[in-house]
Amino acid sequence: MTSVPLVSVFSADDSSKVTAKHIPLPAVFQTPIRPDIVSFVHTNIAKNRRQAHAVNPQAGMQHSAESWGTGRAVARIPRVSGSGTHRSGQAAFGNQCRKGRMSLPIKVWRRWHRRVNIKQKRHAAATAVAATGIVPLVLARGHRISQVPQIPLVVEDKIESYEKTTDALNFLKRFGAFEDVQKVVSTKVVRAGISKQRGKKYRVRKGPLVVYFNENAKLLKAFRNVPGVEVVNVTRLNLLQLAPGGQLGRFVIWTQSAFAHLDKLFGTYRYTSIIKDGYQLLRPLITNPDLARIINSNQVQEKVQPAKTTKVLHEVQKKNPLKNSKAMDRLNPYAKKQRAAAVAAIKANTKGTKKIKKNKALKKASRAAYNKVAASLNDATKAAVQEEQDIKVKYFSVQKGAAQTE
Amino acid sequence: MSQSVLWEVVKGNNAFLVKRNGLTLSTDPFNNTGVQTYSSTGFITKNAIGVVPTQSKVNQINNVNLVARKSTKFQQVDRKTKNTQSVYASTLSVKHGIHTASRVIRKRFGTRRLGLQKAALRKLVKLNRANSVRRRNEIAATKAQKK
Repeated sequence: MTSVPLVSVFSADDSSKVTAKHIPLPAVFQTPIRPDIVSFVHTNIAKNRRQAHAVNPQAGMQHSAESWGTGRAVARIPRVSGSGTHRSGQAAFGNQCRKGRMSLPIKVWRRWHRRVNIKQKRHAAATAVAATGIVPLVLARGHRISQVPQIPLVVEDKIESYEKTTDALNFLKRFGAFEDVQKVVSTKVVRAGISKQRGKKYRVRKGPLVVYFNENAKLLKAFRNVPGVEVVNVTRLNLLQLAPGGQLGRFVIWTQSAFAHLDKLFGTYRYTSIIKDGYQLLRPLITNPDLARIINSNQVQEKVQPAKTTKVLHEVQKKNPLKNSKAMDRLNPYAKKQRAAAVAAIKANTKGTKKIKKNKALKKASRAAYNKVAASLNDATKAAVQEEQDIKVKYFSVQKGAAQTE
Repeated sequence: MSQSVLWEVVKGNNAFLVKRNGLTLSTDPFNNTGVQTYSSTGFITKNAIGVVPTQSKVNQINNVNLVARKSTKFQQVDRKTKNTQSVYASTLSVKHGIHTASRVIRKRFGTRRLGLQKAALRKLVKLNRANSVRRRNEIAATKAQKK
């Protein structure tokens, strides 16, 4: 990267106005995109909010069940003691039994949380921040950003002093972020499963993430009731918010001071971070990952052998040369001339003969004769049919016009 | 960002991905084939053209829009332009002529990417045809009503 990309800071009141025209992009945004690191860190960090739970240790075991042993024509599983109830003699204790305890019952001392190496966590966060600046990734995550003026979206610090939700909403509308909020609202669904009875009734999507810097900022209260919108301080950027579900490319709205703080937070490629002590941004394995460009570059094309053309040994579909003249010509180049010669010969032979003209009068006469014969045939068949009918009526007493049952 | 890198991130999971009946399809507006493949996925490229129907009512194509993908390197959207612009695309309505639209597509691709070019043109023609059929039916309906 020889030239530093520049970003504009927008005025909070008017999305067409730019307060600062060209701010250099913090180095974090040029970190290589590493979905593998993000995925690993996310799956582990996502486990850290879990609360311990367990199955009642006595569940399924509150019986004095004993196995009946062998010789009783029943399976050797422990059976409930006593009598006088259906339950007696039924199998108990096993995980396979009805009303038995589960296999390997969950204990409270299960390892709920995962620790991840700090460097990995930092790399993941840096990559996630970088991904928020890449439009296709934000699109791929499903944010509606068609009206947003710029990505990454940086706004002046004025929004940090917003106290009213109406201000927040109007701000989002002005910057085209409201479409994303609308998506969140319209896709709010009742959760499938039991969790809906356990305080998680709705499944709500993630909308824009607003990142601020000053600790005294009031915008948390302004934005917190807007569905889907989350607010976070730069110093406490959370991978679970930057890449929800492990999916890179959250739509982020930065305030100017938050944006400026990123260089101090993550450091650059020229100096390590001040705040994350000694942290150096990840360097890419390949500086130019554009495969197409590499392949088409002069340096590669010079060394590369010319492309092989596929040699056609024979036609894919066999054509009969006796019928297909082109196929014949391929086999016997002289065939074309032979055919032409034959045609010429025929022409020469028939040069003197007259063409037979069709005699219209003859045609008419022959047609008339034919019609006459056809008519007489018709009459004959009619007469025959009538005769048959008469005979039937006369000898078999069949009523005229009645259906014949024979 | 390079197309190859973005593809590695996006191919497994993205908002446009639809997997049904063993098919891997895409609702990406810049994808004219409908199938998710590396070359046909337009939103990860810098220069794709999507042919998109605009609807006012369900099952009605009122107009066809060309959505042209553009380089998004921290560009600020120029709000003064006639064509609606966004950070990642500029939209051109096809109301005035299918020939203009096809020229836009051809010019964008030039002699390269014939497959993508053909796909875009094919979709343009189909949508336009559907549109004209609908208009014809509408006209016939209004005529019948008048009678």
